[in-house]
Amino acid sequence: MTDRKPTIDGVRARRGRRLTLLALTGLVVGIAIIITAVATQRHAAQPAPGAWGTVAGGTPTTPLPSPARTPTKHQSTPAKHQSSPTKHQSSAAKHPRHKSQAATSGDDSHHPTALPSSNPTKIIIPAVSVDSTVFAIGKDPHGGLQVPQPGPHLNDVAWYNGSPTPGQTGPAVLEGHVDTVHGPSVFLRLGSLSPGDKIKIGRADGTTAVFTVNAVRDYTSHSSFPTDLVYGGDLSSPTLRIITCSNFDQKIGHYVGNTIVFAHLTAVHH
Amino acid sequence: MKKSLGRAVALAAAAAGLAMVPAGAAHADGAQTYTATLNSINGSGGSGMLKLNLSGDQATVTENWSGLAAQFGGGAYPHVQHIHIDGKGTCPTSSADKNGDGIVDTVEGQPAYGGIGATLSTKGSTSAKAATNIKIAPGGSSTNYHRTITLDSKTADAVRNGSAVIVVHGLDPSTLTKKAQKEKSNLVPSLPLAATSPALCGALTSMPAGAPQTGTGSTAGVEHRGMFALGGGLVTMAGAVLLMRRRGLTSTRIDR
Repeated sequence: MTDRKPTIDGVRARRGRRLTLLALTGLVVGIAIIITAVATQRHAAQPAPGAWGTVAGGTPTTPLPSPARTPTKHQSTPAKHQSSPTKHQSSAAKHPRHKSQAATSGDDSHHPTALPSSNPTKIIIPAVSVDSTVFAIGKDPHGGLQVPQPGPHLNDVAWYNGSPTPGQTGPAVLEGHVDTVHGPSVFLRLGSLSPGDKIKIGRADGTTAVFTVNAVRDYTSHSSFPTDLVYGGDLSSPTLRIITCSNFDQKIGHYVGNTIVFAHLTAVHH
Repeated sequence: MKKSLGRAVALAAAAAGLAMVPAGAAHADGAQTYTATLNSINGSGGSGMLKLNLSGDQATVTENWSGLAAQFGGGAYPHVQHIHIDGKGTCPTSSADKNGDGIVDTVEGQPAYGGIGATLSTKGSTSAKAATNIKIAPGGSSTNYHRTITLDSKTADAVRNGSAVIVVHGLDPSTLTKKAQKEKSNLVPSLPLAATSPALCGALTSMPAGAPQTGTGSTAGVEHRGMFALGGGLVTMAGAVLLMRRRGLTSTRIDR
């Protein structure tokens, strides 16, 4: 009996140590999971008030942004900057050069001539890591713009086939989801674009139309959506409008606003 | 009874609220805006865009095009332009060239875009009768056109039901095939074929109504709820085990 007691103690101690080790591992893994979950929180980016810019063909009655709501509603912008410090630095470095250009946009004297009609096939926006195929979309039975439906194109960018093709004279209209039921979509970070950022559109004829952002705006309600400015604001030069959703209303469970990026053609690669 | 009635009213109100989301399409006065992307046809190389706001029978047309033939007989090249109706509401493809001269002339294009409903002249008559009056047509290689005109009911209906097509005419003769260069217009025999052949074409379509719904809100709240639950569970369990172990260890120490 006396011989066996220490052995039992030994087994108990060993089992205990193993349990402690397991618990410590569980603690570390648990904390790691929580940290990962916090760090990977992704929210739609909201345009900065300074990105409002100017849009040719815009009317003086265009609503002004309410500066109060941008920093308060989503804490997305600082979160995004934390997660991608290098990107933020590079765009900050770009700013001073482009700010003055943005203020007088539309006065750029070096507009390339408009391209003939050719459907867009691809979109690349380096500043927000967008690299997507583009497909044509039409109107729904109610006369509204269709949106990408569940299926292979759900997270792709859509081009409205009733608008000019990108590079052609007039406003070419593109849209994409900010998120879907499965999580973030192609334009989650569209709102963090700034005047001066580049948008490259590949076309079926092999040319690439390069656009420069001149305004990034948030229209906080669907009733303030600037239909005429988006689809017919400026008929005289090749421009681009990119639309996604914004301003989630928890009460009704829908986005009630839209973020719209306005850009103009600045280069063509053959 | 009262309660269920109240509930029904609330439901109806909610349904009405939902129904309002995709609405907001047409304005209260029935005004609606249409656009047409004007694409090059017959190799004209031009392009443009037209916007038409229709309120009752009043159509306010804003139009920009460029890249068309600039000169004709020493003067500005007249580009007659029309709202075509009663066709398929589309622009013709090159397969519409029945006589094989390389040009889809105005008549060959008619099965696609139909006949003339209104003339987009710079002044004076805007009826179909003014269709070939080159004196009141915009001239030169580009135009910035703005005019409010009255549409007859057939043309206004065609615009509203999406079967109206904008056609701008007038090609640079030097871009035509030799055969086509010798031909006369089948509309105005005194003019060459190039003068009346389509150069730009675009179907009128209503501007999309309202704002597109491009999100579900899956990233609007807290993401990865499952990860938080798992992590939290692990930490809690580990904490409990460690707490128990500490007690166990102290008791064995006391034993010794």
